[in-house]
Amino acid sequence: MLDPAHTIAANVSAALPVGMVDEELPVGPPKRRRSAVRFPIPLVLGGMLVSIFVLVALLSFFWTPYDPKAINVPDRLLPPGSDGYIFGTDKLGRDVVTQLMLGARSSLYVSVLSTTVALTVGALFGLFVAGCGPRWQGPLTRVADVGLAIPGILVALVLATKLGPGSTTAILAIITWFIPVAARVTIGPAKQILALDYVEAAFAYGRTRRFVLMNHVLPNIAPLLIVLASVMFAAAILIEASLAFLGVGVQPPTASWGRFLNEAQPLLEAAPSLMYFPGVAIVLTVLGFNLLGDGLRTVLDPQQARTGMM
Amino acid sequence: MLEVRDLRVRIGRHQIVHVDSIDVPAGGRLGLVGESGSGKTMTAMSIVGLLPDEAEVSGSIMFEGRELLGRSDVELTRVRGAEIGVVFQDPSRALNPMMRIGRQVAEAIRLQMDLSRTDVRRRVVSLLEQVQLPDPASLLRRYPHQLSGGQQQRVLIAIAIACDPKLLIADEPTTALDVTVQEEILRLLVTLSEERSMGLLFVSHDLGVVRFVCDHIAVMYGGGLVEVGPTSKVVELSRHRYTDALLAANPGIPAADEIEAYVGRRLTVIRGSVPALGNFPSGCRFRNRCEFAVESCIESPPVRTVDDDHRFRCWNPAVRSVDASVG
Amino acid sequence: MPALVEISGMHFRYGKAGGRVPAAWTLRDLSLDISADSTLGIVGESGSGKSTLVRVACGLLRHQEGRVAFDGREIDDWLKSSPKDLRRRNQIVFQSPRRSLDPRMSIRRALAQPVRALERRVPTDAEMVEWLARVGLGGEILPRFPHQLSGGQLQRIGIARALSVGPDVLYADEPVSALDVSVQAQVLNLLMDVRSQLGLTLVMVSHDLGVVSRLCEEVIVLQHGVIVEAGRTSEVLADPQNPYTASLVTAARAVSLT
Repeated sequence: MLDPAHTIAANVSAALPVGMVDEELPVGPPKRRRSAVRFPIPLVLGGMLVSIFVLVALLSFFWTPYDPKAINVPDRLLPPGSDGYIFGTDKLGRDVVTQLMLGARSSLYVSVLSTTVALTVGALFGLFVAGCGPRWQGPLTRVADVGLAIPGILVALVLATKLGPGSTTAILAIITWFIPVAARVTIGPAKQILALDYVEAAFAYGRTRRFVLMNHVLPNIAPLLIVLASVMFAAAILIEASLAFLGVGVQPPTASWGRFLNEAQPLLEAAPSLMYFPGVAIVLTVLGFNLLGDGLRTVLDPQQARTGMM
Repeated sequence: MLEVRDLRVRIGRHQIVHVDSIDVPAGGRLGLVGESGSGKTMTAMSIVGLLPDEAEVSGSIMFEGRELLGRSDVELTRVRGAEIGVVFQDPSRALNPMMRIGRQVAEAIRLQMDLSRTDVRRRVVSLLEQVQLPDPASLLRRYPHQLSGGQQQRVLIAIAIACDPKLLIADEPTTALDVTVQEEILRLLVTLSEERSMGLLFVSHDLGVVRFVCDHIAVMYGGGLVEVGPTSKVVELSRHRYTDALLAANPGIPAADEIEAYVGRRLTVIRGSVPALGNFPSGCRFRNRCEFAVESCIESPPVRTVDDDHRFRCWNPAVRSVDASVG
Repeated sequence: MPALVEISGMHFRYGKAGGRVPAAWTLRDLSLDISADSTLGIVGESGSGKSTLVRVACGLLRHQEGRVAFDGREIDDWLKSSPKDLRRRNQIVFQSPRRSLDPRMSIRRALAQPVRALERRVPTDAEMVEWLARVGLGGEILPRFPHQLSGGQLQRIGIARALSVGPDVLYADEPVSALDVSVQAQVLNLLMDVRSQLGLTLVMVSHDLGVVSRLCEEVIVLQHGVIVEAGRTSEVLADPQNPYTASLVTAARAVSLT
């Protein structure tokens, strides 16, 4: 199973902020690059997929084709294209489209909550560590590294045994998993910025370390964090689905793509389409977020390059 | 040995280099001097085909009677290793930090020559001696970060001359080094050039450094040559106003008895700054910053020659008491 | 008259993260007096500690041993009772113009920072235009961003920013090394002008003896964290007593045009 930490780190490393570009001799006023921004396919495509996902999830609060709680056993396991059921029905006769929409809701809820909390806490911790003096910086960075090394799924399973399965467990597991990632990804670039002249200048005119971290470092690593956020969303959705698949995530009657997938397994011969739909939904959503992250990095990167050396 | 004629380099909409002619005889040392945007690095890199992919090059680059322009990457790689050596500015970035020194130099040799293991090793040690590194045998096993900046640059030079090239191109090789180390490296380059009859194309923004090393100087501004000639003439009898201004603006150390007089005295300045690509004026590219611009400067000035070996493009050049025929 | 900056027996080293063996001294047994209204050049090669000396002298780095005093009071005393005043009276101009300014801040915002931090007020546009005029720039660049300006312009802005709080001492760490030759002369002239107009004490770090010889009346030569020679520039460069200084001068003259 994919290791989000590495994916995340690899994805965001390219979005380094300005000032990192090493300069030799100056080139005079930077030349304005001809707007040769190749049509940003990843960004557009990713944006579309993500929007669809979010809209569907939000829509599910107001309307679904069928009553979410409706169980209609006589109509069970109808194939896609059946009368009134575009995607068919599951083993309890519930409309697949409705189930997908509800599953989107879970994914959205879990991933938004966990990513937001993890990113905020992790990034703030990372900033703090970067601003630490030499005495504490080493040990604290090791702490982040240790957190990174702990396999997330194990944490999730342990939490599940302690707290019982459910969306809260899933959220907590993802948060615990992601905080070290966010911290580690933040520490490096933050330290690099702290070594730049304009930071030294800020200290020279009396700014406190806290001010510098929040007003000079944070805005300059913001693009990096945005890219990190989109990649984290993708990973969170996948993790949520995995946990649900394993039975330790969101519990019935709350819908989840992962559990949907799980329940469709034994029915593979009877109704193979039941595996396709949640699977495709997961793939498309995760793909969407990854593309979005990729596209954002490309868009934000040349902008940065334009502000640096040519 | 090296003859560059009508070299033009285009990137996108802009023609960033237009050099009418450059010559480096065997064993000769030519300095290519200019500030940012002068095109000096592009010119040097086009000789060995190290330009970015988007660059379009035209003209003629004759090396040892053979045309280099238009050759394939494969052919140029051969030429680059065996016949033209290149030394870049920052040694800490040009050397592979994960590879031992001995191996890096050995690879440069092995790429072009087929020698036995022992022969390669012997050659490596010999090369390290020639670049005046102390105790070469022990250096073989060291890593780049264990060497000082000056030592690293010597290793780079060793790699560049590994296969006895006839021409060495050095792009700002001492800019990142301390001044005492710089002097040693510059002397080394001159020694190597003389001992091996190896031509040297030395690219730099520093006129003083170029004067120390080279017997001829070509001054570039805005992508083109403005003055070319023997070092003594270009430095002492400069004609082009930009060369003049560059010499005057340079804050060198005054003679011992004049230092006191110069402290606190304002420096001669060149008005404005180097324009961005595409913002150069028509005609003479320097005219918007030149104190001596005249009406004709709107047209691109023709080449004028003094004493057969000193040429420049200027409508209103500096007048020298030794003035001779202008052709 | 007591010197503005008095340093005696100063030792400094960078702290190592939890290392048991302390790092070597970056600056050793340094004693130096900088008088008001003087121009001092600090010369040395890489690793000599010249940039570190500047940071210690203005209180950005804390020395471990010895005494560093500004205007008669110990730096520690300043930092405890009136740190803002210390900062206001000591400002720095840095080597790399592009790295001196936050790329995400407009020039207007960047220029206003020192006054906002030290005087707790927002400077008016009129004030800022005046600061820019002092360094030869026009007010039209206020809304622009660093990436739209040249190295020379950015360096001038860095100087304007440093002068905005009216310091007594201006430390310049290799202020022109990253600039084209034609622009170097402009910025050097600017430094000379503002120094005489505002009665500043100028302390300039440079590896370039030529630059130092033009701007600084006094010079100290650093080697491996120790002052090996000090005195009037004209004397030190014309007749260096220390062999290291002599080698620096010889090397510099070899590539000097004059």
